[in-house]
Amino acid sequence: MAEGFDIDHLAKLARLSLTAEEKALYSSQLNQILGHFQALADADLPATIDDARVVNEDALRSDEPGLVLGAEAVTRIAPASRDGQISVPRVVDDES
Amino acid sequence: MADALHTLSAAELGRRLAAGSLTSRALCEALIARYQVINDKVGAFTHLDQADVLAQAAASDVRRKAGQGRGPLEGIPVAIKDNIAVKGQPLTCSSKMLASLVSPYDSHVAERLRSAGAILYGRLNRDEFAMGSSTENSALRKTFNPWDLARIPGGSSGGSAAALAAGLVPLSLGSDTGGSIRQPASHCGVVGLKPTYGLISRFGLVAFASSLDQIGPMARSIEDCELLLNALASADARDMTCFGPSDRALTPAGDAKKLRIGIPKGFLGKGVAPEVAAAVNAAIEFYRAQGCAISEVELPSADLAVPTYYVVATAEASSNLGRYDGVRYGHRSASAGTPVEMMTASRSEGFGPEVKRRILLGTFVLSAGYADAYYVRALRARSKIRAEYLAALAGVDVLLTPTVPTPAFKVGEKASDPLQLYLEDIFTIPANLAGLPAISVPCGKSGHLPVGFHLVGAPLSEAKLLAAGRLFEAAHGFAHQQATL
Repeated sequence: MAEGFDIDHLAKLARLSLTAEEKALYSSQLNQILGHFQALADADLPATIDDARVVNEDALRSDEPGLVLGAEAVTRIAPASRDGQISVPRVVDDES
Repeated sequence: MADALHTLSAAELGRRLAAGSLTSRALCEALIARYQVINDKVGAFTHLDQADVLAQAAASDVRRKAGQGRGPLEGIPVAIKDNIAVKGQPLTCSSKMLASLVSPYDSHVAERLRSAGAILYGRLNRDEFAMGSSTENSALRKTFNPWDLARIPGGSSGGSAAALAAGLVPLSLGSDTGGSIRQPASHCGVVGLKPTYGLISRFGLVAFASSLDQIGPMARSIEDCELLLNALASADARDMTCFGPSDRALTPAGDAKKLRIGIPKGFLGKGVAPEVAAAVNAAIEFYRAQGCAISEVELPSADLAVPTYYVVATAEASSNLGRYDGVRYGHRSASAGTPVEMMTASRSEGFGPEVKRRILLGTFVLSAGYADAYYVRALRARSKIRAEYLAALAGVDVLLTPTVPTPAFKVGEKASDPLQLYLEDIFTIPANLAGLPAISVPCGKSGHLPVGFHLVGAPLSEAKLLAAGRLFEAAHGFAHQQATL
C-alpha cells in the first residue's frame, strides 16, 4: 500500500523546502506510519460514506457583498502592504 | 481570603460575586499574582494582558453594581487556547508561522463569553496548530504537567489543562480534533468535554481538520464544565455545520443511577497500564454498585480508528494549512524571490517538524494515484466506525473506557517516535470520527499522576455524560483537585 513514496514530489506539492536530513527523517517516519495504515487496505469496508456532519444549507447567506473586516484591519496583519493593499513579489513580468 | 481564591470553583466564585463578598477585580488580581509566581514553572500561558484583564474585570464589577450582570459567568475568568480568536489578542497557534498575528476579530465562542460577562483571560499554550498529544510541539514554550514538572501535560490543549490543575484559572477552553481536550484533561486530573459535532460554532477556531475539530469546555468539576458548556452552545450562521443549542444536549438528564453503561470488549486489555486499568475498573464497579446496568459491547472496527483518523486528519490539515502562503498574514520569508519561492520559503521557515510531517502525509494520501487507496478508504472506514458506535449506543446510554492507556509520560520520552505518540489517542479518536460527545472525568491516580475515565454518548447526549460524571464525582475526592506547586 505504501509503495511509490517520493519525498521530493510530495515536498513540491506541499510547497515545502526540505533539507537532506529532513528528507531522510520524514521518509523513514512516513513509511513507518503508512505501514500502520495497512489495516485500512485489509479491512472489509462499506461502499457508502457517512461522515457524521450535518451541513445546514439554510446557513448560506445571501450572495451580496458586505464589509467583513475592512482594508485597514486586513492590511494591518499582512506581512507587507502599500496604499491600502497587500503587496507581494512581482507576479507578472513587465513585458507580459 | 485572597490566597484561597485560586482553589475555588467557578460556581462558588460566581456565588460570591453575586453575593457581593467578592469583586471580579479582586479575583483577577489574585489570579494574576498567582500567575506571576507559577506560570514560568508550568508554562501554561503564552500571553496574559494584565491591564486588559483588570479593565474587563472593572467593567464587570460596574455592570453588576448597576444591576446589569449577564449571568453565572459574569466576572469569571476563562482562559482560551491560542487557536481560538479573541479580538486584539495574539492568535499564534503556538507557531512561528503566526507568531506576530493579533486577531482582528472575535470567534463565536469569544462573543458568547463576552455576552455572558466572562473575563477573556489570556492565551494558553498548545501543540503547534493543535498537532500533538504532549504540547511539546509548541514553537513558543514548553508546558509541564503541574502534578510532575518532568512530565508532559498532554495535548494539544496542554496549556488549558495545566492552567486548571495549577490553579491559574477556574475555567478554560480547548479544542479537540482527536482527543486534544480529553487526553490532557486526563493527564492533569481535570474535566474535559468534547461536544457533539455541531453543538458549538467553529467560527474563529483556526482550522486543523474541519470535519473533526470541536471547541469544548475544561474545568476542575462537572458543575463548572456544564456552566461553560451552556454559555458556548449557540446557533451561528457563520459555521454551516453548527446547529446551535439543543435542549436534548443541555437539559439536565434524569437519574444517573439508571444509566446503562457499555464496556467495549478488549479496551481494558493490551497496552493499558495496570494502574489505569485498576482505576477504570474501580469506576465501573462504582457504577454497578449504584445500580447502573453494566454490559459488554462489541466495537469490532476499533483497531481501524487510529489509521483512519491519521489519514482523514492529515488530509484535511494539508488542505487547510495551504492558506499559509506568506501573502495575507503570517510569516513571510525575507529571502523571497518569485511568488512560489516566497510561499515555499515562508512555509518551510514558519512550520515546525510535526506540522510539516502531517502536511506531507496528508498531501500523500490525497495525491493522484493514492487518494482512493488511502483517503477514500479512510472515509469508508470512518462510516463503519460511526455505524458501530451508533449501534452500540442504541443498546446503552454511554460507553466507558480509559481516556488514555497510560499516565503522563516524561518530557522527550516519545519525541522521536510520532507513531507511538499517535497511539496516545486510541480511545478518544472514535468520538471525533463519529461526531459523538465525550468527556474525561478524573477517577484516580497512578502514583502521583492523575488518571481519567472516558465516556462517549450518542449525538446530543451531553447531559447524560455530565450526569454520569456528576454521580461519580460526588462520591469521590477528585473534583477541584489541584497540584501543589
